[in-house]
Amino acid sequence: MAKKSQKSGAPTVSPVKVPSVKETAGPSSEAHESPVSNPRLAAFLAWVFPGAGHFYLGDRRRGLLLGGLIFLCLILGCSLDGLLMWQTSGSPLLILGTLGSAGAGLPFLALRFLLGYQGDPAAAGYEYGASFLLTAGLLNWLLVLDTWDRAWGRKSSLVDGPLVDEGREEAV
Amino acid sequence: MSHFLLMAVHGTILAAFFAILSRRPNRGRWLLFGKILGALVGGGLLLAWLMYFFPSGPPAPIP
Repeated sequence: MAKKSQKSGAPTVSPVKVPSVKETAGPSSEAHESPVSNPRLAAFLAWVFPGAGHFYLGDRRRGLLLGGLIFLCLILGCSLDGLLMWQTSGSPLLILGTLGSAGAGLPFLALRFLLGYQGDPAAAGYEYGASFLLTAGLLNWLLVLDTWDRAWGRKSSLVDGPLVDEGREEAV
Repeated sequence: MSHFLLMAVHGTILAAFFAILSRRPNRGRWLLFGKILGALVGGGLLLAWLMYFFPSGPPAPIP
């Protein structure tokens, strides 16, 4: 048979049906239904105000706790007179730091432009405060990414449910 | 101002953040909190102890 097909020219290839993405996506697929109609708005809200994205998705307790932790970081950083990075040219590390700090969204913009906060280089907690302020921005970037994934339904509702206390969890 | 206290507060905030963000049940969440806090504070103390072997030079001039 093989010799026959070689003699006749091009080998005969039986058509193989390649299943489409829709056909392969079954009940065990990682794709889940999006909990909101506008995932982009959820991610934008998460950036603008820490915790607001989770709040919008209906996970209010988690949103409050995570947003509260980010605000605690910001308050500690400001009370230590830490550096709020703002540099768009020059040292690449400072530019990266600015991008990181900008993750805090509206509080970052309010501190920088409404209150004119920059930090006090002579303060004892200048470096420590800078760490807290940078941490707040970076943590909020993580919240934005988490909100983005949850808003597009990329996480299972079974392991990705709302934050509940022990009693409610056992009941479920 | 205690450097250790600030480090511990920073570690606690980070550990609490990741524990709350995780999708584990409550027991796993507390375990994760302890692991992250221990790693951050313990790692910081270990690094501080290792740095005894690298003495600092003269203090930098204040600009």
